[in-house]
Amino acid sequence: MADFLTGMRVSSSGMAAQRMRMNTIASNIANINTTQTPEGGPYRRKDVVFESMPDAKNFGEIITSTDPKGNFQRVQVTDIISDRKAPLLKYEPDHPDANADGYVAYPNINLMEEMTNMIQATRSYEANVTALQASKDMALSALEIGR
Amino acid sequence: MSNGIFDKTTNALATSLAMRQLRHNVTASNIANAETPGYHAKKMDFEGALQRALDLDGANSLSTSDSQHFGIGGVSVSKTRPDIYEDPEGAVNNDGNTVDVEKEMSALSENAVLYKAALQLINKKMAALKYAANDGR
Repeated sequence: MADFLTGMRVSSSGMAAQRMRMNTIASNIANINTTQTPEGGPYRRKDVVFESMPDAKNFGEIITSTDPKGNFQRVQVTDIISDRKAPLLKYEPDHPDANADGYVAYPNINLMEEMTNMIQATRSYEANVTALQASKDMALSALEIGR
Repeated sequence: MSNGIFDKTTNALATSLAMRQLRHNVTASNIANAETPGYHAKKMDFEGALQRALDLDGANSLSTSDSQHFGIGGVSVSKTRPDIYEDPEGAVNNDGNTVDVEKEMSALSENAVLYKAALQLINKKMAALKYAANDGR
C-alpha cells in the first residue's frame, strides 16, 4: 500500500543509512593515528556504499502495491569499503612500528574531508527527519477529518 | 461516492488528498536517496489530470439531455491517475544522482501545506453537513 507508512519507511531508511555513514566517519576520525590493526598495517579509511531499492520487496507487497513500478525507493548501506589510498609514511625512527628505513605507516585520512562528510551526513539526516515529521503531521491531521 | 450528500467537490478533495499523499512519498524517496549514486529524482503530476476529470467548465464532456445517455469525455474524479516520471530538469551530478535537495525540501513543505488546505476544506464541508443534520443547532 502506498500510504504514509511508505513515506515513513523510506525516510527512516534514509536516517539509518546516514547514521551508518556517521558511524563510519567517527571511526575514521578516531583512528586517524592508528598504526596497528588486527589485519595488520595501519587503519584504512572506511566508506559506505549507498544503494536504492524499491520499498515493496516481496511478491505480496508488490501485488498489493499501488506502486508496482517502484517509484518509492528506500536507501540501504550495502557495503562498507576500505579506502585503497597508500598509507602516509612519516619518518619516525624511534616509533616501535617504524620499518627498516625508519618510516612509520599512518592511515591516509584527511580530517577536512571527514568533517565535510560529517556535515553532509548531518544535513541529510535532518532532511529525512523533516520529511518524516511532515509524514506524521499529515497523517495525524487526516485523522481529524469530520471531528 | 457521488450521491446526494457528498458532491463532486468532496470527491475531488478526497482524490487530491490521496494524490498529495503519493507525492509526499515520492518526495520523501527523493530526499532519502539524495546521496545514492545513480539515483534519478522522480516527479509526479496530477493537477492537470484532476482538473480534466473535474471538468468545471464542462469543456471535456458532452452534455446529455437524458439520464440514459452515455457520457463521453470527462472521466470520473476518483479514477484520476498520477503521472510519475523521472525529473527531466535535474542536473546530473558526478555520481549520476539528479536530486536537488533544496527543490525537494520546498516541494515537501508546499505539498504538506496544500494537503492541510484540502483537509480544512473537507472539514468545513463536514461541519456544514453536521450543522444541517443538527437542525441548525
